Amino acid sequence: MNIPTKPMLSGERQDALAVDADVIVIGAGPAGMSAAIELASAGCQVIVLDLQPTPGGQIFRALQSNLEARPSTDSLLAALGSAYNAGRTLIQQFRATAGIDYRPETTVWDLRADGTVGWLKGEMAGYLRARHVVVANGAMERPTPFPGWTLPGVMTAGAVQTLIKAGRLQPEGQIVLAGTGPLIFLLADQLRRLGVRPALIARTDRFRDKIFALPHIRPAGIPALLKGLGWLARLRLAGIPMRSRVTELKAQGRDRLETVSLTVAGRGMELSCDLLVVHDGIIPAIELAHCAGLALEWRESDASWRPKTSQDGKAQMAAGPALTSGPCRIRISGDARQIGGADAAVAHGRHAAKAILAELGRASVRPPVGAADQTATDVQRTMAARPFIDAAFPLGLAAQLPDDTTIVCRCEEITAGSLRTSIHGGATDMNLIRGVTRCGMGPCQGRSCAVTLARLLGEAATRTPASPAPFRARPPLRPLPLGALAKLSGLDPELAEVVSLEDKPEAALGGDTNG
Amino acid sequence: MDRRSDDVLIIGGGLQGCAIAMFLARTGWQVTVIEKNLAGRHASGVNAGGLRLLMRDAREYPLSLRAMEMWDNLADLVGEATSEACEVRLGTSQIALAMDTAELEWARARNQDMLRRGIYSEELIDAEELHRLLPGLANSALGGLISRRDGHANPANAARAFRDAAEAAGARILEHCVLRELKPKAGGSWRADTDAGLIEAERVINCAGAWGADVAARLGETLPIKVLALTMMVTARVKPFVTPVVIGIDQPLSFKQSVVGSLVIGGGISGKPCLEEGTSFTVMDRMASSAAATVSAFPALAGVPILRTWTGLEGATPDGIPIISPSAQHHGLWHVFGFCGHGFQLAPAVGEIVAQSLIDGLVDPRLAPFSVDRFAPQPKLVDEALQ
Repeated sequence: MNIPTKPMLSGERQDALAVDADVIVIGAGPAGMSAAIELASAGCQVIVLDLQPTPGGQIFRALQSNLEARPSTDSLLAALGSAYNAGRTLIQQFRATAGIDYRPETTVWDLRADGTVGWLKGEMAGYLRARHVVVANGAMERPTPFPGWTLPGVMTAGAVQTLIKAGRLQPEGQIVLAGTGPLIFLLADQLRRLGVRPALIARTDRFRDKIFALPHIRPAGIPALLKGLGWLARLRLAGIPMRSRVTELKAQGRDRLETVSLTVAGRGMELSCDLLVVHDGIIPAIELAHCAGLALEWRESDASWRPKTSQDGKAQMAAGPALTSGPCRIRISGDARQIGGADAAVAHGRHAAKAILAELGRASVRPPVGAADQTATDVQRTMAARPFIDAAFPLGLAAQLPDDTTIVCRCEEITAGSLRTSIHGGATDMNLIRGVTRCGMGPCQGRSCAVTLARLLGEAATRTPASPAPFRARPPLRPLPLGALAKLSGLDPELAEVVSLEDKPEAALGGDTNG
Repeated sequence: MDRRSDDVLIIGGGLQGCAIAMFLARTGWQVTVIEKNLAGRHASGVNAGGLRLLMRDAREYPLSLRAMEMWDNLADLVGEATSEACEVRLGTSQIALAMDTAELEWARARNQDMLRRGIYSEELIDAEELHRLLPGLANSALGGLISRRDGHANPANAARAFRDAAEAAGARILEHCVLRELKPKAGGSWRADTDAGLIEAERVINCAGAWGADVAARLGETLPIKVLALTMMVTARVKPFVTPVVIGIDQPLSFKQSVVGSLVIGGGISGKPCLEEGTSFTVMDRMASSAAATVSAFPALAGVPILRTWTGLEGATPDGIPIISPSAQHHGLWHVFGFCGHGFQLAPAVGEIVAQSLIDGLVDPRLAPFSVDRFAPQPKLVDEALQ
């Protein structure tokens, strides 16, 4: 644990408590790294907590170790291409910046609006405090419950990328890629370079989506579009079969995936398959923001929540009671705030950091007139391709809500049918349904079923568009070993004062036995 | 607006309120239960579900013993199918651990006192038997108290079972129905302004749990209740290794292994209650002591991860036993709340005995220890008719 050293601001309880750093950054992906570099370069003490053993986030996962393992990883690095190798400079800069206390393999299981962060590393756990917290925990792949999605042999594109990057593995056999969004084409192109030929790329998007998306093209977004067109062109050139307008995807097999069936433009087809890779875009990971009591908004068009933030990432408290008092000390950056990809995350991390420096009065060198908005302009520029991408790749596999027999909550194996029964029985909020059905009670804490359940509730709503609240999020957000909790460090003296039930009876009550 | 007159209006659709409603409705009384949320939403539905005689205050034994008979024959009370859903498991026993000499001394003294009172449900056991019953228990454990009849049930389903049984018996259960105003009428009856309209009733029973003191305060009656957000933790599934429910004597320890293997850990530690908003927060800083007590009793559990926590809002009295009593200030008003985190097991007996007391117009002597009179002197009963 760091020893607190900073002087206190007056009048605020949180500052009366020892702070461990000026800023805690959660996540060492593009947004977290760039925020940390910016903050530490300006003289801030920064603690960066990250789940992975090396920095990089999902997109640059294991890049550092793959670079260190050259030349044996040369072909892997070449296959992963510029989208992956682009992280090299950022990671080097992150490692080289003094003042960053980087703590890898650290899980965050609690977040409070007053800047308190619960962490777990190995068998040790505790709380850390900072004047500001940057939540940069990224995104997750949109859950896509379709018939057979829980069969062994069905994976998400992100999971396959993890195995390639961190496991240096490559898939074998008959591979079908299904879904939509840029990642599926990137992965297909990476597989092609690895010498793996998918049997089919089954796209749920339609040509007319691209036509409708055309008005969304912005000049600053054109480089990103060209990159995407490049992937597509190379896949076509390589003769990898690709179909669009795919619907009714089903994974079939007894104990594992054997065949995939789907409908292309109204015609059914079935093919044998060893690995079905699915992807339906990514959505912000909201669990930390939600746990901290921050305001979220449900976006029907994207079938997901995202935190309500200002342009520089400042979060706001949700209405209602809160655990802690005082101002909200949290900013949210990168894909955790708004899906935009790596470049946008880097730009926003820097932008959020600038805003924090201004609040701390640490903007070491005053920027020249006009340059103050540079980071904001960068955020806009890097997000320029997004409106086109969102329109060109609408919700695919998850567009239709699952039928009654399909599992929604894979931890507890709860089907859409039993959830619908509960909803028709009068359950109107997610917590109630969780209590009745156990949906969302498993180890994933509802991360993979929450958006689907929210939509099932919306489907049944008779009135205007519903704005569902996610499952109540209580710590620990991630599994926390009893032994680690038993030795929890960094307790808040005021909160930690145990209030307990005092109902231990007297050993002997005296003479009167009261009937 | 709906207007009707009942024999009794019960405020609060928790286990106690629904149990009383069920017994009264079965004798033909016209009963309305109003519940601001859903029946059993708070402490009744989210407690640990312990069915224990063990370590009860001696004054609760007559109720607790009667309640145990009723849990044992729950099907007679709520019907076969419903009772099955309650997952009543009796005879798994509950054990109170003495981890140091002070706790062991307390256990000895307690045991002698109970025997002197003619209460034989608890036995003092030595370290050897303790370790035989609880594999994996730390060597430092010195002995303990066991109650072999004890066990547990599913609290959420039990709360629902009593709610449904009350409704089936003819009680009107109004959920999402907030009490706005409650006033005694001239002549001794009551008028309640609620979300469901005006309700008039001959008698009112305050079964508002954590909110019970608030309801009393609105009628000018001050009752000493501390509101707690008792916190529970549940772990990942582990290989079944313990059948009894294990509780601490001075330690914040209480855990049992569920059928699927997860450990459900309590210990009576409060999070942050938000009574007005009807919610509460888990405060993990405080749960460290609960985890420490669990791990020091069962060292092998150190690596088992906690997956979830939850809290339930509950009221506790200064002397650790509930208030089950006619009001000291108003005719036709009863207070039944403040169960201090151990009212789950008592509920069927409380329902039966309070209902019978109302029907007889005479307070059952078993309820004497739970009178409001035991707290600070109350002003004399005022004659409502003169107001």
